[in-house]
Parts: sequence; structure tokens; C-alpha cells
Amino acid sequence: MTRIRLLLLLLLIPLPVSAQGISGYAETKGFAYAERLNDRDPWLLGWGTLFAKWEQMAAGTQLTASLRAEGITSDEQGNLDFDPADRRLRRTPLSVRDLWLRLPLTPSLDLQMGRFQLGWGKTDGYSPADAFLPRDLSDPFSDEKLPLWAVRLSGQEGTLRYEAVACPITTPWRLPLLGSRNAPLETEGLPAGTVFDEIDSGPPTDGFGALRLLATFGDWDLGAWGRFGVRPAPLLDFRLDRATPTPSGLIIPVERRYAREEAVGIEASRIIGSWILRGEGAALFSRDRDLGNALIGALSAEKGFGDGTLLVTLTGNALDTPVDPVLLFDRSILPALIAAWNRTEDWGEWKLVWSVGLKRGDGLVKGEAGYNLTDLWKVTLGGELPYGSAEGPFGALSAARRVHLALRLSW
Amino acid sequence: MQKIRYMLSLVMAALLATLFAAMAFGADARALLKESENRHRTATQQYAGDLTVVNKDGKVRKKGWKSFRQGYAGDARNLIRFIDPPEVKGVGFLSLAKPGKIPDQWLYLPSMKRERRIAAQDRDASFVGTDFNYEDMEEFDHEKYKVALQGEQALEGQPCYVIVATPLETAGKSVYEKKILFLRKDILYLLREDLFRKGDKEPSKRMILADIQKIDGHWVSRKWEMHDLRKGSRTTVLLKEIAFDRPQPANRFTLQNLNREGGD
Repeated sequence: MTRIRLLLLLLLIPLPVSAQGISGYAETKGFAYAERLNDRDPWLLGWGTLFAKWEQMAAGTQLTASLRAEGITSDEQGNLDFDPADRRLRRTPLSVRDLWLRLPLTPSLDLQMGRFQLGWGKTDGYSPADAFLPRDLSDPFSDEKLPLWAVRLSGQEGTLRYEAVACPITTPWRLPLLGSRNAPLETEGLPAGTVFDEIDSGPPTDGFGALRLLATFGDWDLGAWGRFGVRPAPLLDFRLDRATPTPSGLIIPVERRYAREEAVGIEASRIIGSWILRGEGAALFSRDRDLGNALIGALSAEKGFGDGTLLVTLTGNALDTPVDPVLLFDRSILPALIAAWNRTEDWGEWKLVWSVGLKRGDGLVKGEAGYNLTDLWKVTLGGELPYGSAEGPFGALSAARRVHLALRLSW
Repeated sequence: MQKIRYMLSLVMAALLATLFAAMAFGADARALLKESENRHRTATQQYAGDLTVVNKDGKVRKKGWKSFRQGYAGDARNLIRFIDPPEVKGVGFLSLAKPGKIPDQWLYLPSMKRERRIAAQDRDASFVGTDFNYEDMEEFDHEKYKVALQGEQALEGQPCYVIVATPLETAGKSVYEKKILFLRKDILYLLREDLFRKGDKEPSKRMILADIQKIDGHWVSRKWEMHDLRKGSRTTVLLKEIAFDRPQPANRFTLQNLNREGGD
């Protein structure tokens, strides 16, 4: 009830006056589900967001700050805690999305520090270079990236660009409620009514360091990167030894731990005829027993058709994972084929995405159309339809089939 | 037999006259365009653009961008950064001309935090929801066209040279089969471009440059109108805060700068 009140409160907040350097949006979104996995999964879900961003530039120095307030009518929302690095299990109603300063050290060398988001990699749909960055999977279909507290040095000399990032604190992947329709864990062999008790184990304080080099030679864009440190996607330990029987079923504690990992990767893209081909390869090394090593490749092809774009990505891991890949998050969908078609229209835009897991043949069809009521008001209608084997990463989410409707006011 | 020879001579003479006339007009057209480029070339240009996109149903959308250019025509480097509306704020476009070739173009999308290259074949796509496509965003470089003077015509009371510009194969694939340029005679300034797609007998798009004023000693159109004659829509750009020959930061036209979130 408190969350519903918060959601209503967000929707009633007077609209901020537009000011130079301030932008943002207010959005209300509703989801309707076709089925439930258990009694705790709601049929209907509401999501209200208020986002404000302030940007100021003076003498080449850029300062940016943004804040997000949101209300969710489900248990995916946590308490109103101070969680500046998004390290808690659940989303806090108030969070800092940007708080960074960028200083030009020389005309071609920038120092950025604070809380900001990184975007690495070349291939769309799945990029091994981007996959190590933290995600918030509270909504498993939205693929929301989390910002980092980090220092970044970036520059360009001729055709060579370079970027060095030091992230002193781990921002972990945020997972949906374990056992909910968004993270249905196999409970075969366990009595009916078994639930999982997620322990806030606390991610390690140290983060990662990374270096990326990029160069453009005619139609070729080439790149290489390396990184070391803590992998932000957690490994789950199901503590069956500490399971507690209750009248309604077992309660199994689930702890999280974070492995260290080193990785190197290469990336390339080239225009060939009417296509843009992009490729990435990454070798990832870890001594962790559950994570192991990986050799991940991704190849994508993009072609424009007027105002529409077709994008096809094929990706896979050449090595077997020591545990079920579903438990490794960014590796869960591999191997996969992702096809996306999006198009801009006079009235707005629409997109259709089909992802298929090549191991079990399960998949996900996503569709969304956004209609611009005015320059500032937009209504979006969409749906997500996971299908196929429940053992696959997409088919497992079959109880999360849904439609959604959103109304957004931007300023 | 003599009659046949006489007829052949007449035909040859007519052909030669046509050829010479075409060459003469071609040379004139090239000379006019070169002179136009010489007169209007500036080291840099910058402005803020207020865009109005009106679709065929009369629905109006507003956008705003800041534009920076260094060089001119075949050596132009352009950076455009959208400042409005919120859904496209921060979107950046970088175009780096290559002499005699299609320029390299990239689009930066803040939501992805990285740039995307624009393939030459994608240059017919709408440029961020406007009636301009990516090719329209290039600086016109007559060196990439075969040009011929077609005649003269008055536009809004202004006498103009009418020049047909046909893209050269060697300059890369163009969206258009030909362009008809209307060059104001007195100041050699472009007033209108009719753009013909492949196989079209009528122009599919028309660019009109109006409200011509002298700023910083240079003629400049303060109002551009791109009409999509097929779709029935139009995009108007009103240029404000126009400035020429202002020094630009050394790295403004680089991929690093394009990727600077919140930057110019």
C-alpha cells in the first residue's frame, strides 16, 4: 500500500518548470500479465518514474547530475535506503543516476570522474565488451545498465582513441526476486512451496580496471580492450544445508559471491556494400570453480532500409560453462541469434525484436510502438512474449508474458 | 549522292554544335560553381537552428540543433548536436568530408553511450525525424558532380542560373540521380535545389533557401525549407546566432568530441 501511495505521489508532483540545463521526464507505466508463477506474482503492475537531469558546462568543464525517483507496485522495490552505488538487492525509490565532472586536461585528453554510465563494445543485442558492465534486471526485459563510480581518462591522437577506466567499487548486477516469474528457479526435487531467502551478502568493495583502444582506418573501425578485477554478475550459492522447514514449505537461503576475472577482447566493424558488419571476440579467465573461462564471440550485420533498420546478431561461447549458464546471467542466453527491426515513422517509431536461444530453441518476441502525441508527450504500447523450453533462458520466463502501456512527459 | 553527303554534313555540324554547346555550358556551369564556392567559402561557420517539421497531416514537431562547420564543400567537417526536444537532446552527428568521395558520417546516441557509423547506403534515411536525409546533410561539392548549365530562370523575382548536377560514379553512390540547382545570378548564391531520385521525372524533394542576408561580410540564407514532395511534409530550419570564421576548438570535429556527453 505504501508503494501504491508513493506511485500516486509521484504522479501528482507538479511538473517542474523547464529551465536551461535541466531536462527529464515523468512516466507512468502499467503491465498486465497473462499468468502467475505463484501467489506473490501480481497480475497487474504499476511503475511510476520521475527523472531529472541537470547539466552545466563552463570553459570546457562539464558537470552533470541526475536523480531518479520511482514507485513500483511490487516487491522489486526496496526500502528508501541510502544506496549511492546501487549495491542493495532491490531498487531504492530514490537513486543518483549521474553525478560526474569532466575536465579537459588537454584539448584531446579528458578526465571524467564521479558516477556515470559506460557504453562499450560494437555489436548490438549482445556485446562481450559491454556484458561485464552491471545491469539491473528488476525488469528482465528492459536491459537497464547501471552507472558506475569511476574515473575515466579518454583521449584521441590522430585516428587512435583510448580510454582507461578505474572503478574503485563494485556495482553488482541487480537480480529480480528469486523465485518470482522474473527469475523462476528450478525447484525440482524440492517440496512444493519452497521459497528462497536472498541474503544481502554485500559485494566486494574493490571494482575493476579497464583499458580500451580504438582506431579508424577508412571503412574499418578496430578496437581492443582488456580488464581485470571483480566481475559484477554474482554467483549464487544455494545453502541447502541451512534450509529451514516451515508449514508452507522450505526456506532456502541464497548467498551471493563475486569472482575475479581477467578478460581481453577485440572488436572490428566495416562497411561492406550496403551492410555494416561488426564483430567482437573476448577471452575471459577466472579461477572460480563455478565461473570458469569463456571464449565469447559476436557477429552482427546491420542494413538500413529507408527509415528502417534490420539488425541481426549471432553470438556464442566456445567453452562449456561449469554450471548451468542460466546462473551466469550475461552468459545465460549463449548461443543466441538476435534479430531486430526498428523503424521511424511520422507518428513515432516501432521495433520488433526476436531473440532465440540456439541450445534449446526457446525465444523471446518483443514488440513496441511509440506514438508521439506532441513533442513532449508520448504513449508507448508493447508486449513481451517468451516461449519454448522452460529449461532455456527465455522459455523459463514464460510466466512473465505481458503487455505494457506507458505515458511519458519529457521536458 | 551529293545530297546524301550534304545531309550527313548537316547532321555532323548539328552534332558538333550540340557537343560544343554542351561543353561550353558545362564549362560555364563549372566556372560558375567554382566562383560561387570562392565567393562564399568561409573558414568556419556556426549557428543554432530552430527546426519545424510539418507532416502531411499538418502535425507540427519542433527540434533544435547547434551546428559547427570547419572548411567548406569538399573539405568540410561538420558537427551537429541536437538540443531539443528532450527525446533527441544530446544526439550528435559528425560528418568528415573526403575529397571526391562520400564523407564519413557517425551518429552519437546518448542512450547507447557510443557512436554508430552511417553506411553510405543508409544515407536516404531520415536524419533524426526531419525531411533531410544523411546525404542532404553533406556540404554540396560540385567536384563530385557532372554539371551543365541548363538555362536561366527567375525565382521570386531573382534571375538565376539553372544548373543540372549529376553525381559522378567515382564519387560514390548517391541517393539522387540528379540535382537541379538555382544559383542567384548577382551573388552566385544557391536559392533552390530540386532533388531527383533514381528514375524520377519530377523532383521528389525540394530545398529552398530564403531570407538571404549578409552577416560578418558573408551572404547566408537564414531560412531553409526542405520539402518532401512525395510525402507532403516539410522541414524548416531558421538559423540564429550565425557566426563565420570564428576559431573552433582543435578537437571539435573528432570522434572523441562526438562521444562527449553533454558537449558541443
